[in-house]
Amino acid sequence: MADAVSSRHLSKTYAYRGGSTVALEDVSFDIPAGETFGLIGRNGAGKTTFLRIAATQLLPTAGTVTVLGYDVAHEERQIRSRIAVVPQESRPLYFANTEELIVWYLRLRGMDRRESRRRANGVLEELGLEDVRRRLVSRLSGGQRRRVMAAMVLASDADLLFLDEPTTGLDPFARREVWGAIQRANRERRTVLLTTHYLDEAEALSSHLALLEGGHLVVSGTREALRARIQLPYRVTVDGTTGAEELSRYGTVSGFGDLRLVFAREREARELAQLALARGARLSLAPVSLEDVFLQLVGRPLDEGPEAESAEGAA
Amino acid sequence: MRTQPLYLLNTVASPLAFLFFVVVASRGALLSYGILGGMILTVLTTGTGIQSDLVHYKQDMKFQDVVVSSPVEAPIYVAGIALSEFVYAVPGLVVFLLLSAVRFPGVPPTGFVYSLGGAATLFGALLLVWAFASALGFTIATYFQDIRETFVFSPLISLIMTTLPPVYYPISSIPASIRWAAYLSPTTYAADLVHRAVCGVHSACYEAPSLAAAGVDWAVLLGLTAVLFFLAATKARWREP
Ligand SMILES: Nc1ncnc2c1ncn2[C@@H]1O[C@H](COP(=O)(O)OP(=O)(O)OP(=O)(O)O)[C@@H](O)[C@H]1O
Ligand SMILES: [Mg+2]
Repeated sequence: MADAVSSRHLSKTYAYRGGSTVALEDVSFDIPAGETFGLIGRNGAGKTTFLRIAATQLLPTAGTVTVLGYDVAHEERQIRSRIAVVPQESRPLYFANTEELIVWYLRLRGMDRRESRRRANGVLEELGLEDVRRRLVSRLSGGQRRRVMAAMVLASDADLLFLDEPTTGLDPFARREVWGAIQRANRERRTVLLTTHYLDEAEALSSHLALLEGGHLVVSGTREALRARIQLPYRVTVDGTTGAEELSRYGTVSGFGDLRLVFAREREARELAQLALARGARLSLAPVSLEDVFLQLVGRPLDEGPEAESAEGAA
Repeated sequence: MRTQPLYLLNTVASPLAFLFFVVVASRGALLSYGILGGMILTVLTTGTGIQSDLVHYKQDMKFQDVVVSSPVEAPIYVAGIALSEFVYAVPGLVVFLLLSAVRFPGVPPTGFVYSLGGAATLFGALLLVWAFASALGFTIATYFQDIRETFVFSPLISLIMTTLPPVYYPISSIPASIRWAAYLSPTTYAADLVHRAVCGVHSACYEAPSLAAAGVDWAVLLGLTAVLFFLAATKARWREP
């Protein structure tokens, strides 16, 4: 079976008293088995909605989603025995200690005691949680709790893992540890569906990605194919003192806030950098990243905060 | 809440307070009724009370989503939570059992009752009340978005099912013209069973109601439990629409 998840014309409308919200509209794409798939998009784009439908927590309004060969609407039982999920903003139950909780989750999934202990030990070490293995979950920090959630799921034997912003709130070291565990899951040929607001994370982990915007699929494909959408290899970021018209002589200009992004070939990029430096403007020069692709496709920054800053800090 | 033992007091306090009120108001005449009614109220509120934790686990912790997307099925999850919360009923049941041992001195080991059959009836009825209340608590909980909604509902269910119906007092105290209304509450049947079984020989403590017979009581309780389990299986929003 080539695809772990297949979505066809998927739509979801939330109906509630006094209105309704269209969260997904006619979304079709595939997640190949054994790969890490990054689902990205702005707040409210529909990432969680998609993930919850595929993880059989939410019913679609129209269209079909097939997970591991089964239809999410009618064959949820077959799916559930083979998936595991870290929901967005989920927290671990607090009345057990870290190790007990992981073992308990694995036992609940039907794993035997020895195997559960062995896997719990492995994942505690992998995610840097050995020091708190005997500590009550209620006494853990926010980031440690988030890691416990990831640990539970990564230690499971599920074939398909759904991780909804698993690294939000983690320090840079803890984040790398979770990355390592995801990459290991991937080496074991497990499929991972990951949503994240950290585009460097999506780029580092995912071989395939999809971008949602306002409930629509903007683009999906392999990481390389997406990077290749910007054919100009460099990005120069300059402050707004230089006019867009002048900039357009060097390459393709897009902008947000006070900043202008110019995508250019190497020579033009260098010329523009020299010009800007000579004028005393602030600038940065970097190879294009996935983030640039998405900034271009969506036309606005994905999100305020860390990602937007890293666009400049990259140089 | 396992880290907060004071919470346990809560489940003893309100049935006891109600017992106190009924006994004082009746100048002691309704003590027997109150003691047995207290047990019913205790298991009922423990059962429906799982909705607060269910909503908390679902909305605040997103734990229900973790379970839904796993091989664990809903009945296992609910049974696990209901059992783990049964500890809240224990102090209340112990207090009322002690009270009833004093009130209805009898033969050990059953103590407060005159027969093993009586004890079996008591525990059977309490078990059914707890089971249907838990199923009800679960079904309702899956519709709530916010734990605060349950703070309104739990007392409301208690009021409808224990304070108003003849659980703490005999059905004959209700004016004949509206007595039919009492039969709308399942707890009326549970109370009837329990009173009949436990105070069968204590004439002061049991008045045969006009409608119910023990067979009818069991049929209604079992039927209702089956219906609520069925509703939980078909109507609870384990997966969201
Ligand atoms: N339970 C709900 N009831 C009504 N509307 C909802 C519900 N959940 C989500 N929505 C709406 O559906 C849209 C998509 O939400 P969703 O949670 O899928 O976004 P997201 O991409 O995960 O965003 P974020 O990055 O903020 O997590 C939003 O407009 C949101 O307001
Ligand atoms: Mg989300």
